[in-house]
Amino acid sequence: MKSTLTGLSPGARAALIALTVGALCLAFGPRIPWLLEWPSSLTVPATDWIGAGLTWFIEGIKPAARVLSAALAYPMGWANVLFVSTPWPLMIGVVMATGWHLGGWSMAALGLAGLSFVLASGYWVESMNTLALVAVSVPLALIAGLAIGILANEVPSMKRAVQVVLDVMQTVPTFAYLTPLLLLFGFGPVVGLIASAIYAAPPMARNVILGLERVEPEIKEAAIMSGGARWQQLFLVEIPTAATQIMVGVNQCLMAALSMVIIAAVIGGFEDIGWEVLLTMRKAQFGQALLAGLVIVVFAIVIDRMSGALATERRRHDRRVTWAILGLTMLVTLVTWSWLPEAGQISLLAPVADGVDAGLSEFTKANGAALDSVKNGAMFYLLLPLRIGLDEAVLPFTWGFQWTANMSLIFFALSLVIGIAFSFSGRLTAGAMVVVFAGMIETGIANLPWPFVLAGAGALGWVAGGRRLAAFAMGALALILLSGLWDRSMLSLYLSGAAVFACAVVGGLLGLSAAVSPMAWRVLRPVCDMLQTIPLFVFLIPVLMFFQIGEFSAFLAICAYAIVPMIRYTRHGLVTTPPELLEAAVASGATPWQIMWEVRAPYAAPTILLGLNQTILYAFAMLVIAALIGTTGLGQSIYLALSEADVGLGIAAGAAMAILALVADRLVQGFAEERRAALGL
Amino acid sequence: MSMLRTTVAGLALAAGVGMAQAAEMGAVDEPIKLAINEWTGQHVSTHVAGEMLKAAGYKVEYVTAGYMNMWQAMADGEVHAAIEVWSSNVSDQFGALEADGKVADLGDLELAAKEGFAYPAHVAKLCPGLPAWEALKACAPVFATAETLPMGRLVDYPADWGTPGADRATGLELPFKAVPAGSEGALIAELRASTEKQSPLLIVFWQPHWAMSAYDVQWVELPQGEAACYEDAAWGPNPNAVNDCDFIPTRIFKTGWSGIADKWPAAHEILSNMTLSVEAQQPMMGAIDVDGKAIEDVVGAWMAENEAAWKPVVDAATQ
Repeated sequence: MKSTLTGLSPGARAALIALTVGALCLAFGPRIPWLLEWPSSLTVPATDWIGAGLTWFIEGIKPAARVLSAALAYPMGWANVLFVSTPWPLMIGVVMATGWHLGGWSMAALGLAGLSFVLASGYWVESMNTLALVAVSVPLALIAGLAIGILANEVPSMKRAVQVVLDVMQTVPTFAYLTPLLLLFGFGPVVGLIASAIYAAPPMARNVILGLERVEPEIKEAAIMSGGARWQQLFLVEIPTAATQIMVGVNQCLMAALSMVIIAAVIGGFEDIGWEVLLTMRKAQFGQALLAGLVIVVFAIVIDRMSGALATERRRHDRRVTWAILGLTMLVTLVTWSWLPEAGQISLLAPVADGVDAGLSEFTKANGAALDSVKNGAMFYLLLPLRIGLDEAVLPFTWGFQWTANMSLIFFALSLVIGIAFSFSGRLTAGAMVVVFAGMIETGIANLPWPFVLAGAGALGWVAGGRRLAAFAMGALALILLSGLWDRSMLSLYLSGAAVFACAVVGGLLGLSAAVSPMAWRVLRPVCDMLQTIPLFVFLIPVLMFFQIGEFSAFLAICAYAIVPMIRYTRHGLVTTPPELLEAAVASGATPWQIMWEVRAPYAAPTILLGLNQTILYAFAMLVIAALIGTTGLGQSIYLALSEADVGLGIAAGAAMAILALVADRLVQGFAEERRAALGL
Repeated sequence: MSMLRTTVAGLALAAGVGMAQAAEMGAVDEPIKLAINEWTGQHVSTHVAGEMLKAAGYKVEYVTAGYMNMWQAMADGEVHAAIEVWSSNVSDQFGALEADGKVADLGDLELAAKEGFAYPAHVAKLCPGLPAWEALKACAPVFATAETLPMGRLVDYPADWGTPGADRATGLELPFKAVPAGSEGALIAELRASTEKQSPLLIVFWQPHWAMSAYDVQWVELPQGEAACYEDAAWGPNPNAVNDCDFIPTRIFKTGWSGIADKWPAAHEILSNMTLSVEAQQPMMGAIDVDGKAIEDVVGAWMAENEAAWKPVVDAATQ
């Protein structure tokens, strides 16, 4: 076997190995049951161990944590008093003045428009509570991020470990570590604050690392030559030089903290805008939930634009105008305060919210049958076969006939013929892949035998990044196997896999259209912006109304979130092809489509792969929220753990999810790296 | 779960020192924190309790708290009482903490709750035998969907509330597959969509709930629930299975931090003795959720009009 294999490309070898393992499992599975299902006697009670270990650990550091929690309650309380008791005209004035200071009239107008919307929504007090939370958690995250970044920069041997920790911080779903945080830090807003700081610190740390790496060696040398301790070089020279990049980190950190607001609300203890979204979501009031969600979007936009201005070089704006705005609003506040309505009493947009809600009802009523047939079509012909395979999904009342063993044989024979045809034309890898995919569709992702999944992941890893990556992928998946969470993980893998596939196809096409037509991009761009900042809970309501509880609804909810990076990166990759390349192609007489396929697409491949990578991470992140619709994978386990305060199950399920996401992430990054190397980038 | 024993003991001790003078009322200067959970009925019950405590002369603070996640906080004395706890859906953590003596059961709220299989009224036209449960056997295909074919679809409680729908479908040998909803919002969205599309729906639901009247929800008549049904397979229409009957009425009770009795003795008595009926709670929920009134106004008006319902409890504890 080995001698024939050595002549092949790595891709072909990997595909053949996966194919062989799959065929062996299929052939011997019926006789050797442990091939198809990992024996439960060989799993370790990982959830219990993790639970016991963590409980012990938590008990140990709890006194310290409680002190920290009590200490944080003070700034939290101050920020709360500051934001809530500031009269609303004055608050609007302060934001406008800040806007002017950072970016002139356009920014001041943005601040005015944004806060006016918040005021009109009737959620002013709740919004100010939210801002208080963000105002305390962001500095915490910034300091932590800066410290982590400096640590990685100063101790090069730590860098790899730090990167892994950052990955874990971003891929373990926040819901998974809420329970331990509750046990550690007690109750109330402080827990939400810490959870959002954990989530918001990694982008800051990454940008600090990147910024310090990019400080030019000459500048460093100059700093060394002028003497001074290491900390002086760092704080007086290197960090100021890296300021622009670090400001990008500040911006990302703010956005991450804001997006965590809704998760923090699940714990409660705090009447913020996230709690309002949860309350309206509980009543399935779409209009009201959308309104509360849009308040968060508005904050995100204002904070993003203003902190984004920090990251770019800016011209100075007249200080006197800043003071004039502040003075004027102070005056207006003093004069009018006695007869101005309280912010909580204003709710100009309530009728709009009711209208949106009624519109949703009308739409559901009018299109019920059409929606049902869309759902049935997608379930019968797409999702069910993917999950449980053709042999179980094809039944008289779904496809109109029963799948038989003969059909399986014919199906396999056909795929073999196609595969052999491919390999005779020189594309052995493609041929083997056809057969592998045929086998996967026949069996269904949830029923895939574990040796095949391990071998497949290992083979992909080998092609994408060599032996190390293969070992990592297989080892990480083996951990899930041992933990006993394999079945649930495969369900999660199926659902997010289906969503990623759909996003890759649809998002890729949308990105392509946006690259070809600026008009399409003008329409798509605000949609993308909104999908990324609005709390996704809001969209669960219409999805549920249209398609009811079930996998299809969950699938759509995941797609709505995960498709955005695919669109963005595809477009970005396609429009940034260097002009010289395009000119050369035009000069050699290529048609526009030829240019797209032969020049732009290959050049954009690494960027598109990065988009795919982000789509995968987003899809996994969304699994937890999709569990609110009623899915049965790891997401559900995390909720179960949260409601039972089961530390072990929560962390184990969260870790399994992070493992799946990390393996997928490393594989795609490996391919992107390889493509980039092939293109000489 | 054995955590925080020392801290709670410390708190209780500190409380004991503080109440030296006014043994009856206790620490009136410190606010009693009542948990506000995620549903309107609970808000009403809690505000009624809060107003009663205020009438007795206490300071009251309402704190929002996740229903499932508040128990550790209560054990730590950071939240002092939760007025409406459903025994059918309570975190295991409560049992553990109660066994450790950190949180206490403060007695029945006497809110007569009902849980069961339910359907919006229009479904009776699609399955003519309803509300008799036997009709569901023949009607199952009407309720079938892509995920459940050939069986009917039964929308069950979210997985973290248990699986009462699936248990009963098995016990009664109903050809229904239970689909767990992910959240209460998902249950309501199902009711709303079914009412608007006039589509079939069988769902596990409970009252008091504002949606009962908003979507004209009717109960399926299942065999009367009894304790024997859940232990003795021979009991009920299916001789071979348990769970072949309706829900046993859920006990709804009040809970509190175990330190209340020492820190605020009169408040402990008020909370232990207060009750609230469905007849009182449901109209208030409607006024808040359907008419959009503020909870303070609605509860305030009810308190003023129904002194007889609550005043004696406060007077007995304070005079």
